[in-house]
Amino acid sequence: MLGYALQTLRARKAAFAGAFLALLCAAALVTACGALLETGLRGEIRTERYAATPVVVAGDQNVHHEERKGDKTKHKAKPLAERVWLPEGTAQLVADVPGVGAVVPELTFPAALVGQDPENSLGHAWSSAALTPFRVEEGGAPRADGDIVIDRGLAGRAGLAPGDRVTVQSTGDPAVYTVTGIATTPRGAPAEQSAVFFTDAEARRLAGHPGQDTVLGVFPADGVGAGQLADRVAEALAGTPARVHTGDGRGPVEFPAAEQARVRLISMGGAIGGTGLLVAVLVVAGTFALTAQQRRRELALLRAVAATPRQVRRLIGREALLVGLAAGLLGALAGLPLAGLLHDRFTALGAVPETLAPVRSPFPPAAALPATLLTAWVAARVSARRAARIRPAVALTEAAGIRRGVPLGRLIAGLAAVAGGAVLLAVLSGLRTEPAATPVTYLTVLLLCVAVALLGPLLARAAFAVLGAPLRLSRVPGHLAAHNARAHSRRLAAVITPLTLLVALTGTVVFSQTTLGDAAERQAADGVLADWTVTSEGPGVPPGAAQRLREVPGVAAVTEVVHGTVRTPGLDKYTVQGVTPDGIGATLDPGVTAGSLSRLTADGVAVSEQVADSRGLAPGDELALVFGDGTPATLTVVAVYERGLGFGDLTLAHERLAAHLDNPLADSVLVAGAEADRLTDALADLPGLAVRDGGHTAEVRATRQAANAEVAFLGMGLVLAFTAIASVNTLAMSTADRAAEFALLRRIGTTRRQVLRMLRLESLTVAATAAVLGTAICLATLTAFSSGMTGEAAPSLVPGAHLAILAAAAALAMAATAVPGRLALRAAPAN
Amino acid sequence: MTVRTAVRLDAVTKIYGRRGRGGVVALDAVTAALPHGSFTAVMGPSGSGKTTFLHCAAGLDHVTSGTSWIGDTELSGLNETQLTRLRRRRVGFVFQSFNLVPALTVRHNIALPLRLAGRRTDRRRLDGILERVGLAGKASARPAELSGGQQQRVAIARALITRPDVVFGDEPTGALDTVTAREILALLRDCVDTGGQTVVMVTHDPVAAAHADTVLFLADGRLTDRMEAPTADRVADRMTHLGAWA
Repeated sequence: MLGYALQTLRARKAAFAGAFLALLCAAALVTACGALLETGLRGEIRTERYAATPVVVAGDQNVHHEERKGDKTKHKAKPLAERVWLPEGTAQLVADVPGVGAVVPELTFPAALVGQDPENSLGHAWSSAALTPFRVEEGGAPRADGDIVIDRGLAGRAGLAPGDRVTVQSTGDPAVYTVTGIATTPRGAPAEQSAVFFTDAEARRLAGHPGQDTVLGVFPADGVGAGQLADRVAEALAGTPARVHTGDGRGPVEFPAAEQARVRLISMGGAIGGTGLLVAVLVVAGTFALTAQQRRRELALLRAVAATPRQVRRLIGREALLVGLAAGLLGALAGLPLAGLLHDRFTALGAVPETLAPVRSPFPPAAALPATLLTAWVAARVSARRAARIRPAVALTEAAGIRRGVPLGRLIAGLAAVAGGAVLLAVLSGLRTEPAATPVTYLTVLLLCVAVALLGPLLARAAFAVLGAPLRLSRVPGHLAAHNARAHSRRLAAVITPLTLLVALTGTVVFSQTTLGDAAERQAADGVLADWTVTSEGPGVPPGAAQRLREVPGVAAVTEVVHGTVRTPGLDKYTVQGVTPDGIGATLDPGVTAGSLSRLTADGVAVSEQVADSRGLAPGDELALVFGDGTPATLTVVAVYERGLGFGDLTLAHERLAAHLDNPLADSVLVAGAEADRLTDALADLPGLAVRDGGHTAEVRATRQAANAEVAFLGMGLVLAFTAIASVNTLAMSTADRAAEFALLRRIGTTRRQVLRMLRLESLTVAATAAVLGTAICLATLTAFSSGMTGEAAPSLVPGAHLAILAAAAALAMAATAVPGRLALRAAPAN
Repeated sequence: MTVRTAVRLDAVTKIYGRRGRGGVVALDAVTAALPHGSFTAVMGPSGSGKTTFLHCAAGLDHVTSGTSWIGDTELSGLNETQLTRLRRRRVGFVFQSFNLVPALTVRHNIALPLRLAGRRTDRRRLDGILERVGLAGKASARPAELSGGQQQRVAIARALITRPDVVFGDEPTGALDTVTAREILALLRDCVDTGGQTVVMVTHDPVAAAHADTVLFLADGRLTDRMEAPTADRVADRMTHLGAWA
């Protein structure tokens, strides 16, 4: 049977080219996503700062939660967003461990030279320089509290030499320091960060966690191995929140953001790859069904000559496996450069930190091959069910024997898919977080497209019944197109499905982002009452700025705003904003529906309606939280507000939240009253600050959303490209097969132009049907998505963009039929 | 009635579509018995039910009512897979066109029933059959490289490879010129005379029918007449009475 399958494949290369191409793309896609996933799972985060430190002691960066299910306790851990500081006394505990040679406490806090990139510019105490080690190359160590040592890379970028004076923006107000030395490491200037070293006393003051350390570097005494030391330290620290890291484990301690990016990569790789595979099953099943339909007579002959239905199914399955094998091997290879490209783009967009090195291993391609084989096999089995039921008598008759009805089983399956889609829509409208909702949107679209595939012949006939009247206005080509469509509704169904998927999926990917973005922007724009927004080019707006602004005559209220994330003890993640409660009524209106923001004390919290609904909270209730730095707290709900997307899930008092953030500086300061000039004058001695109008907050939201959207597009773009290829594929296949029909039309006197016009009209009708179905699916999904995420069923379908998507799909359909159509017409009509 | 029949139909009715609701009665209570080692031609005007007769007799299609046998096996009780196994062992087919799998060489096309049955192909036997149908040396050709007559010879060779009891032909000469047609008919005749097989052939050509021992005439789904030791002229004459050439 395998030999037979191989021979058929060789002889009918063209028929299987469609499935081959689709599977090849699927394999490449899965390989690329697999590589992302593997980088997420096993990607090495190399340490830079702790390169010379054999053992690093750091706080536990996870929140833990134990869930009891019957007798079993399930232990779950989720990463925290901010750095967890070591409790006081940890250094002493470690120092007392026998075999410890030296304990070097390390402080890490934001510190940027004004005018230099604030990103990854960190302050430390000079006494911890040995961790890397940093050595003074030029000048000397900082002696007075106004002295700093900076790394050679930063000195080069800022054009500074020992003796120069420079303003540094750290956690407090900016201050002027004297550069006393330029330091470098044995491996040259650091690549991932800028380092600013202060005296120990100054560093402690700026770090703002009295008595606490960021990490401890532990060096062994002579004759003690690093591993041995680590074990002893771990033993001594058992029961404390401190954790011991060595070797590759040090990197994630240094770059907690990279550690979080891993999780994102895993979920992104999984979602894209999974969606890609489902799309592949759908389109490949379509191409196989088309192939089976084109070789009905051959299969019927086989049945007549003595193949059992099972043998026909097996034959189709093996052909599919062979096609899958060839496509999988090539696709997996093609996926490797694609993976590199994807990683580079994600890095460029900031979704993947540069510190996370891509993993190159044979696993993703090795996993892509069986995934492709499985896809091919499943697709073939789905399409073979029908093919194997071909009545052998068909082979004896000249008539092509096209069944016009939709079999009952197919009808039931189609209706079941519609019902399943409806259930998913209902689920989706209850999902309130993007990571939960996004995969469900894709799944919903896919399931509804499966319904279209199953009910396709009915839909195609209905579409041509509706569009038949205008079609028949064109006397020859339109008349032919309309009749063809009625007779070949199954063929049309095969091409409508991938086009519908293309329209629906593209629309959903693009407009779920705009739906969220528009809602957030709208809420932010409506909710900001302040006249002015003060922002910083550096790490943030210092507290002194807010102080100066309050003293400006005419200013009614000044609100400092910070953002972060917190978790509940049950590990739910919420976005949170911290705002100055005084006079907030004049700057912000988050749409309070119960309680009042004026009661927002240090122990108070305001919650969005989404949170209030899902947790059943009302003013006066208590809400237990874990701050980003791991500090637990129980706060009292003081208010419930509507504009959760614009202002975050939770709102806390500014001081309370800022104390638990790595960077306590305000993201922005909102000001009500006074004129811009006066504000600017008041801030004159604070560098890097800008006064913008109140709408700026919404713009920032929009920019952030756009960056978010770009990452989503990049990932799903691959799936969309794949869907587009599959659509073209199916259309080309179904047209190329019609050479005999075209020849007949030519023989009976139809001109070439009329045949081509007929084809164009058919493609247009197909595209129009797909546009209607795709738009309907997209709208249904987005409505559910938006009512879950934004609380109102208001999908933002940008008409221009949507028309562009439809036009692109139509153009694709026209091109994909015109080219093979012309080729098929090249044969002389006599043949 | 002790002569063993190779093919038997007993009050076979076949209705396409739904009974009574616009269904087409293709066979109407047809009863026939074709003895072993006979050559039967089935004739009738277009739409008379010739092809349906063949399908029902060969187990390619289920009957609506009545029973049909191949040898002593009743077909009505068999499912698709059992029917296929039966066809594999006991029945060979030669169709008017599209007899061969385009992807396979002549050798593989002929050996296809054996391969599907999971049996080895005896090379000598295959070569013998190729020679018998006059295709020695063409074993590696593909169907597209052969003439229409040659393709029909391959189909006959395939029908003979399993040593079936009955060979069914559906207009096997319908697409051939007179000379080639005569050669193909001679081959079928030879199957009966030297191979002892039973041949049932649907045709509309009186000359082709004249090669048979018996001709059955069908009209409107009923057996209307039969003729032993036919000649082309007598068959044509009878067809005229049936209104075929009116």
